[in-house]
Amino acid sequence: MSTHQEHPVAGTTTWDRLRDPSEKTLGVMLLAPAFLLLALIVVYPIGKLIWNSFFDLRLSGGGEARFVGLENYALVLRDADFWNAAGNTVLIVLITVPAALVVGMGLALLANLPFKRQWPVRLALLLPWALPLAFAGLIFAWFFHSEHGVVNDVLRRLGGNEPQMWLLRPNWAFAAICLTIVWKTSSFMALILLAGLQMIPKSLYEAAEVDGATKWQQFWQITIPMLMPSIIVALIFRTITALQTFDIPYTMTKGGPGNSTETLAMLIHKTTIDYLDVGYGSTLAVCMFVLSLLVTGFYLKHIGKNA
Amino acid sequence: MKRRQSMITAALSTLALVAGLGASTLTHAQSTTLRVFSGSGGSQRPDLMRKLYDQFQAKNPGVTVEVELGGATSELQRQYLSTVLNAKDPSIDIYLIDIVNPAQYYGARWLEPLDAYLGKPADVMKPYLPVYATSNVIDGKIAAMPGFADAMFMYYRKDLLDKHGVKEPATWDELAAAAAKVQKAEGNPNLQGLSIQGAPIEGAVCTFLLPYWSQGKEFNDAGGKLTLDKPAAVKGLKQWLAMVDQGVIKKNVAEVKTGDTVNEFKAGQVLFAINWGFAWDRFKDDPDSTVKGKVGVMPLPTTAGGRGATCVGGWQWAVSAFSRNKAIAAKLVQHLSSPEASKFLAAEGSLLPTYQSVYTDPDVVKAVPWFKNAAEVVVAGRSRPQSKDYGQVSDVIRTTTSAVLARTKTPEEGAAEIESRLTRVMR
Repeated sequence: MSTHQEHPVAGTTTWDRLRDPSEKTLGVMLLAPAFLLLALIVVYPIGKLIWNSFFDLRLSGGGEARFVGLENYALVLRDADFWNAAGNTVLIVLITVPAALVVGMGLALLANLPFKRQWPVRLALLLPWALPLAFAGLIFAWFFHSEHGVVNDVLRRLGGNEPQMWLLRPNWAFAAICLTIVWKTSSFMALILLAGLQMIPKSLYEAAEVDGATKWQQFWQITIPMLMPSIIVALIFRTITALQTFDIPYTMTKGGPGNSTETLAMLIHKTTIDYLDVGYGSTLAVCMFVLSLLVTGFYLKHIGKNA
Repeated sequence: MKRRQSMITAALSTLALVAGLGASTLTHAQSTTLRVFSGSGGSQRPDLMRKLYDQFQAKNPGVTVEVELGGATSELQRQYLSTVLNAKDPSIDIYLIDIVNPAQYYGARWLEPLDAYLGKPADVMKPYLPVYATSNVIDGKIAAMPGFADAMFMYYRKDLLDKHGVKEPATWDELAAAAAKVQKAEGNPNLQGLSIQGAPIEGAVCTFLLPYWSQGKEFNDAGGKLTLDKPAAVKGLKQWLAMVDQGVIKKNVAEVKTGDTVNEFKAGQVLFAINWGFAWDRFKDDPDSTVKGKVGVMPLPTTAGGRGATCVGGWQWAVSAFSRNKAIAAKLVQHLSSPEASKFLAAEGSLLPTYQSVYTDPDVVKAVPWFKNAAEVVVAGRSRPQSKDYGQVSDVIRTTTSAVLARTKTPEEGAAEIESRLTRVMR
């Protein structure tokens, strides 16, 4: 095993070991680049975020960091803006995720019907999904504009006289935002569910037909159970993106009127970019991260049992 | 064989290309390239600024000025610059920034103090209008140099006031009465009496401050500490809401942005409009303006017993603390903030001068006659609070004002919120 020989035997020097590595070394070598990249772009920023959350780091004060321990976290608990934003975010999740699932299911069933031409339906499904979130927000903000919006125009033609100021009333603004999110995200749901629908063997329906099952029974007894894995995947994705809701409320109301439609992501953006309070902004972001972890954990635990 | 030859050719040409690139980088290094950031909004006139850069290039061989445009509004620009400057990006040397930003950016150590290049603040700032001289000196250092001025003006339809025999109103109450009278006589349901900005944009900060200041109250002291007079703030907000109830201001005022006011006034749907100085050119020159030759400008009304005051805006040139060419960048800033540049921008683009003397310059007066009257409005103008946390100050004022105008908060709640949120920030 000595490396001091003049003509080393193959497989004894470091170089030779690298040229002919064992399974384990090879595994480490092959994984290292990917791991390094991941560490650089995922682990480091998250670590830095958590690190910053323990400091009073305000750029407006010249950018010196002062260690404050858990003080920022204590502030979060007492911060009415945080609870308002967290409440709005949870409400958006609770409203838009189930709504998008139901609408998406309907769209997927529709697209799965044996049309002669399938592409117009598929295209209609894809379009809202392909539209950038901010554009969807701007378009719907225009729809709901109290003077120039199509919504008030239709209502006026139907005989309403006083135009409603949709985006200036907290509850209506919230409803308008949820509607936009459901419109925008249902097609994503539908795409995943459609893929699932096409995996279900036709023979199951034929057998059910022979046994005299109604369409309704077929839907609940065959379609839904067979579709469960797709539904759960779609729900996880949708829930996580719903927790991060930013673009649509930002472009529709900017969180207004007041901060009645502000989400957590918007509060973090405002604190960091507008207020230049990096320390507290990081703390808020860690709180949102924990919230996402909790929700994902909840799903994973329940999928383990169901799927 | 043939393949090998072509490979050699390819290798050689790659080598030549690399060598060529290297050489061009070398020649490039001998000259200096300055990169200037300014907003893409029409009010910042990138076309005229380019001419000023060209003048500088002609006088300073070897210097090339590159331009980066971005963000049509002050808020968008602030968000972009916060990101760039927070990353200590050295690629941009000079920034054109809103008058509310020098304190914040200097506080964050993003701006190079210019004393070493230009001289003592007291001497350098002497020829400028006082509000610009004070806004750009932070902690006794020159944080930025005034580029051009701006202010909120009260525009009005001269033809309609004449037609109905109404005088220019001097107080807010007179304005509301005059507007109501003309609206009634015209009988046009689309004619708004007064257009102000109520959306949560930077302009809404002025929407809050104008009626507050006009009662003779101060928002902050010289040290930047909040001196909010709550009853006056409530009274100011109530004044707008009363005008909404009278039908003078339209109901969805909380949706109105700067551009909406300009467009609706151009379309002939507005009697009185509060807006920035650039709007004058839009009313006068835009092909789709229906009010050409029918527009007047007057000082902002006062509250009985108070004094009129307008909100001053304007744009400043600043050198980035991360620039690698600070000395030459400071020289360009000096050129851009010179009386000659101010005169050029005034005569060519009717951008308001930052020098008192330019307002009365014969060439300028000939090109833009209304500047003679504009001078007194700008001189009487007040600056929004100078704060290292201006981002937060602005957000609190504009969001709350917009919520009050949308009637989701009462004026009392709004004033209390501004006080409680800003007492911590403005100390």
